[in-house]
Amino acid sequence: MNAAARSVAQTAVPVPAEKIVRVYVWQWPVRIVHWVIFLSIGVLSFTGYYLYDPFIISRGHGAFLMGTVRFIHEVSGFVFLAAFLVRAYWFFKGNRWARWRQFLLIGREQWRGALNMLRYYLFLRREPESRVGHNPLAGATYTVVYTLVVIEILTGLALFNHALHSSVLGFFIGWLPWLISVQYLREIHFFVMFIFWAFFIHHIYSAWLMGIEERSGLVGSIFSGYKVLPADFVAADPASRRAKGFPVVGPGWAYRRLRRKATAEKKASAVSASMPQTKSSD
Amino acid sequence: MSPLHEDLPRAAERRGVSRRDFLQFCSLMVTTLALPTRYMDKVVHALSQTRRPVLVWLEFQDCAGNTESMIRSSHPPVAEVVLNLLSWEYHETIMAGAGKQAEATLERVVKEEKGKYIAVVEGSIPTADDGVYCTIAGRTALDIAREVCTNAAANIAVGACAWDGGLVRANPNPTGAIGLQEAVPGVKVVNLGGCPHNVANTAAVIVHYLTFHEMPALDQYNRPLFAYGQLIHDQCERRAHYDAGRFVEEWGDEGSRKGWCLYKMGCKGPEATYNCPSVRWNDGTGWPVKAGHGCIACAAYRFWDWSSPFYKRLPKVPGFGVDVTAEDIGWGVVGTVAGVTAVHAVGSVIRSRKSKLEGPKAGGAGEESKPASPKA
Repeated sequence: MNAAARSVAQTAVPVPAEKIVRVYVWQWPVRIVHWVIFLSIGVLSFTGYYLYDPFIISRGHGAFLMGTVRFIHEVSGFVFLAAFLVRAYWFFKGNRWARWRQFLLIGREQWRGALNMLRYYLFLRREPESRVGHNPLAGATYTVVYTLVVIEILTGLALFNHALHSSVLGFFIGWLPWLISVQYLREIHFFVMFIFWAFFIHHIYSAWLMGIEERSGLVGSIFSGYKVLPADFVAADPASRRAKGFPVVGPGWAYRRLRRKATAEKKASAVSASMPQTKSSD
Repeated sequence: MSPLHEDLPRAAERRGVSRRDFLQFCSLMVTTLALPTRYMDKVVHALSQTRRPVLVWLEFQDCAGNTESMIRSSHPPVAEVVLNLLSWEYHETIMAGAGKQAEATLERVVKEEKGKYIAVVEGSIPTADDGVYCTIAGRTALDIAREVCTNAAANIAVGACAWDGGLVRANPNPTGAIGLQEAVPGVKVVNLGGCPHNVANTAAVIVHYLTFHEMPALDQYNRPLFAYGQLIHDQCERRAHYDAGRFVEEWGDEGSRKGWCLYKMGCKGPEATYNCPSVRWNDGTGWPVKAGHGCIACAAYRFWDWSSPFYKRLPKVPGFGVDVTAEDIGWGVVGTVAGVTAVHAVGSVIRSRKSKLEGPKAGGAGEESKPASPKA
């Protein structure tokens, strides 16, 4: 986070009305994947917990409860896998806020942002480290979450193939039961579910908290894709400097103004002056 | 002719195994090996032509349970045939000889039948403290195994202990016990895990070897696929109750009396592979799950450590006490995060009130100076 953005954040309330723009941050694949993952984790958790401890005992003839629950679990597992694969593709094809770089703590700026965000959460700092996309700490957290997603997918496929005995699937996943015995694969698969639940609590809370702090329509953005942010703040976002054009959708004058700023920025072309000229050195 | 090289059918007949018993045995072996029935002729022919192969049975750190399993099998008369089919030159539990005579026999077999005899190993091999925890006739188990198994035509490790160290190797493993394959790397071993081995499988491996002059197809643990290729769960007679969602929840409850699925009682059928449900025990009449007890995955790798506790769904979490399950820890994590979040929410509200009172600039007052132009 640079000084310009911080100063914007500090004076963000109230922001002069003419500087506000709508930014298309979360593209539709990101939003769809988000909600598919949310729904599939919900279904997988419920059915998965039932597979661990079948708390409903069925009665009478013709029951097929466990079989049905397993079927739902397996189908939603593949939906989950498909959603992850789409997201993995979008790490490389998506817009600047969907790209892989957003999720890794590369460079001093990202690290400082993550530390500042941590200090914010620990009440050691008043201002959160806001970004147009994910803040650095959130990005790093999602890397952990995606790692857990991969762990769930791998252990899940290995357990699935333990019953399926498919040579094709075995070719891809057969190495895993070699490394970790099936019972421990089950245990890992089960335990990671609780971490997802814990993450879910934190995720809802932090989205709500940041939405209030930033007044950016953060919670709504995962439905609509748009955030409402000051134009300067968008222009000063580290991700914006790396991108070619501005994906700003809003009043035409705001867009033109941003383009002018970007052109001026290129002309300045000093390494240290890689941000808009206004407000850059307070 | 030396009794070592007697023709097999003649030897069997002399010992009272009728032709009928012999054919019955052959058909059992063909079905155990999952061969098509047309192989029946081939097996009968091969076994009739074979000279009795020499077999030595080594016992190391074991409970003799695999020997018991072998000699107590009665119908179909597997033990009868197998004991007569092979020339058992050395087997500590059942041989008549003792002391120097017995050891001399083993020595003679290794020398004279080099590369021709079958070695069966039962029990684990200790390696800690130079293997002093199991010595026979003044030699360590490791020493004996090295000599006997490297000179054998085929090695069969029967039971969990000989395969992976079994109970002896279970944590904390004071004797440094390991299985035959690890103790004598380089020799070809067919592992017949299980606690104990199922004698039908062991006999089938020997019959396969005598008929086709090679070992049956093996899995990644060198266990024959015909015996260890299928999930117990998939062959279980209680499987219908599992799919229906009818589970035993307590020993002796309604479900227990009605023969419902033992999944909730910690049955490891969904994890373990073995042909237990089809080959069965006690004259083919039963097996643990049929008798009303869950499977403990006795044919799984290092099952004492990795499949226990036997009455719980999931194994013990490493680093935690035996009473703490993965579920307990999981709920602990969720609860902690929920608690911290609630406290943080209260803190955030207080902070927000405070900064509103102090004015918009107050929050930034304590900020240390940062480089104004971070690197792109």
